[in-house]
Amino acid sequence: MKIAVIGWELPPAFSGGLGVHTINLFGRLAAIMNIDVYVPAMKRLGRNYPFNVVPVRLQRGVIGNPYEIEGFPDFREAVDDYNLRVFERFDPHGVSLVHCHDWITFRAGEMIREKYGIPLVVTFHSTERDRSGNFNPQADIMSLEKEGAKAADRIIAVSKFTRDEIIRDYGADPDKITVVHNGVDNEHYTMRPRTYEPTKRVLYLGRVTTQKGPRFFMEAAELVSQRMPDARFVVAGTGDQYNEVRRLASELGISGKTDFTGFVSFRKSVDIYRSSDVFVLPAVSEPFGMTVIESMILGTPAIISKTTGVGEALRNVLRVDYWDTELIADYVESMLMFRSMRRIMGTMGQQEASRFTWEKAALDTMGVYLSI
Amino acid sequence: MKNLVFYFQVHQPRRIRPYRRSEIGVKHDYFWDERNMEIMQRVAQKCYLPATRILLQEGIPASFSLSGVFLEQAAEYAPEVIDIFREYFRSGLGEIMSETYYHSLASIWNPREFREQVEEHRRLVQRLFGVNPVSFRNTELIYSDGISHEVRNMGFRNIVTEGTDEIIAAHTPNFAYRSVSGLKLLLRNYRMSDDIAFRFSNPNWNDFPLFADKYAGWVAASPGDVTNVFMDYETFGEHQWKETGIFQFLKSLPHELSSRGVEITTVEKAASENSDHGTVSVENPISWADTDRNLNAWLGNAMQNDAFNAMKTVYDTDAKTWRLLQTSDHIYYMSVRNFADQDVHSYFNPYLSPYLAFIYYMAILDDLKNGRV
Repeated sequence: MKIAVIGWELPPAFSGGLGVHTINLFGRLAAIMNIDVYVPAMKRLGRNYPFNVVPVRLQRGVIGNPYEIEGFPDFREAVDDYNLRVFERFDPHGVSLVHCHDWITFRAGEMIREKYGIPLVVTFHSTERDRSGNFNPQADIMSLEKEGAKAADRIIAVSKFTRDEIIRDYGADPDKITVVHNGVDNEHYTMRPRTYEPTKRVLYLGRVTTQKGPRFFMEAAELVSQRMPDARFVVAGTGDQYNEVRRLASELGISGKTDFTGFVSFRKSVDIYRSSDVFVLPAVSEPFGMTVIESMILGTPAIISKTTGVGEALRNVLRVDYWDTELIADYVESMLMFRSMRRIMGTMGQQEASRFTWEKAALDTMGVYLSI
Repeated sequence: MKNLVFYFQVHQPRRIRPYRRSEIGVKHDYFWDERNMEIMQRVAQKCYLPATRILLQEGIPASFSLSGVFLEQAAEYAPEVIDIFREYFRSGLGEIMSETYYHSLASIWNPREFREQVEEHRRLVQRLFGVNPVSFRNTELIYSDGISHEVRNMGFRNIVTEGTDEIIAAHTPNFAYRSVSGLKLLLRNYRMSDDIAFRFSNPNWNDFPLFADKYAGWVAASPGDVTNVFMDYETFGEHQWKETGIFQFLKSLPHELSSRGVEITTVEKAASENSDHGTVSVENPISWADTDRNLNAWLGNAMQNDAFNAMKTVYDTDAKTWRLLQTSDHIYYMSVRNFADQDVHSYFNPYLSPYLAFIYYMAILDDLKNGRV
């Protein structure tokens, strides 16, 4: 069996969630099938990948020469160019199916399907509604997503939450959608057990964007701070709402108790998770929520919004409406007060999160391929 | 003549409501009245009324424990349930057993509190049914030699507990025994009980579907004098729905048993009519809960122990509220035990999360202690 994966990025060149997903999932599937991964010919692409990488040279909407792109000043232009170039460059020989990832690659898959009759699988890692935080989603991107959902023979959604969105917003046929949860690399996380002595630190970690609800974190923090003056808050990450959230912290009078760390490396994030009493993700619309699994696997209990996809598969978390900052504060306060609860929820959560493996994701994906 | 002893536990806790920490010092109503009412009325319709009607119609004897918190809620939300039980006990078929009013764990930590709660239950049963119980069953059959001494000192004659694997390795549950304190002791036959309570509607069970003739055959063929079938009364119509045929099973059982020479009876009658086969000693507390059959269902994790200990410290607040908070269900909901058991816990847990059960309970204790000045 040979699969053509239309991707967008691979570590170490850019390290968004998509790249991490691509290398983990297809790295495992490559053990049992032939895999070509198409990506833009980025600067700093690695040399050794567990699958065959096909770098695609872009001309439009990019910085750098066609062989080594450094960035995308006009992202939409680059996306259009990429899909066209993949289509031109595509080698259909022996390919059983094409697997596209998010709207940025759907068009190429559709064109290939049309020309060569090769079946198409698309994965929705998120939807435009999620990424916009439900605020002004872009109509043209939504229509690309809708077309992708319509053309695909099979759809993979990263959560039931996302599956429901695709059905609701794009009228996709429920029978062709399968939920495949992301995995996490356990080996990064084998560390000495925690004592759960209080640190009084409350953590937000992730991109600081409307989608993730950082302002609800700050508002809850202010309520916690009134009742627990020794609580401290950590905002780890950057994003387009970063300055806005800093301003909000100062308006609420808690900038003195809040550490804004800016961008954190993966290695650094491990320490930050482990030195926090509780992790909070009040996302407005989060298709999966990798950070929830990371936090749990490091033993830090999580409070997450009901609109965070991974929550549907978890028992050992507390779930809230993202706007209910009173309740978030209530739960945070309880978490800071009771070591017993941190310990039980932390250790139970660790076990639960370690069930999210890439091996399972690969098997489930294989199941989708075989169903065609 | 061989006996089958029916003992049914009837209990509904006063569940606490989702109580927010922001309400501490502001709101002092803790109990989930609408939910408690809804559950009581639902279970009354599905189980208490139809099942008791069958016992009356078919003349089926049984021993009952009716917790005080159950009785006060029944009187409040479904008084017809009190009426039908009154009719049943007046008929002479049934026995009312004693227990703590609050279905609490008082027996394991506070002998005085234990006695007072048993006494409070005795007064209620006397007032509602005009009966003075002679048999005792502790919360979820929690039992030890120490507890049996306390119960003996309160003047009871009989007691029941779980026939755990450890006990039945040396003593079949199918005889009457003595406790070290001298009470007549009946041991639950968990296999025969769970055939009805858990396995009855399980299509993957080898003996599915279970009909009364088959079950009666097992009872008749089993060795010993008594088969002690003890379970939640809610088995009939609530855990096992009407559609499973559980009521038909119950209706047919007396005839199927008597035609095989087995008579259904109560704990009291079985204890007085069957001589004991020696003494059984139980040093550490056992119970009928979970697969461990000990106290782990309530005190199996750090949250539960935190909550239990915090509860003890608010003894000097409002006495009635304090006792309602002692109902063992509150900390049972905080269990995170192995996944097999967690399914059972989740089935009963109104908050669906052990962590929420803990959060609400601790916030309420905080208000009780500090918030009402």
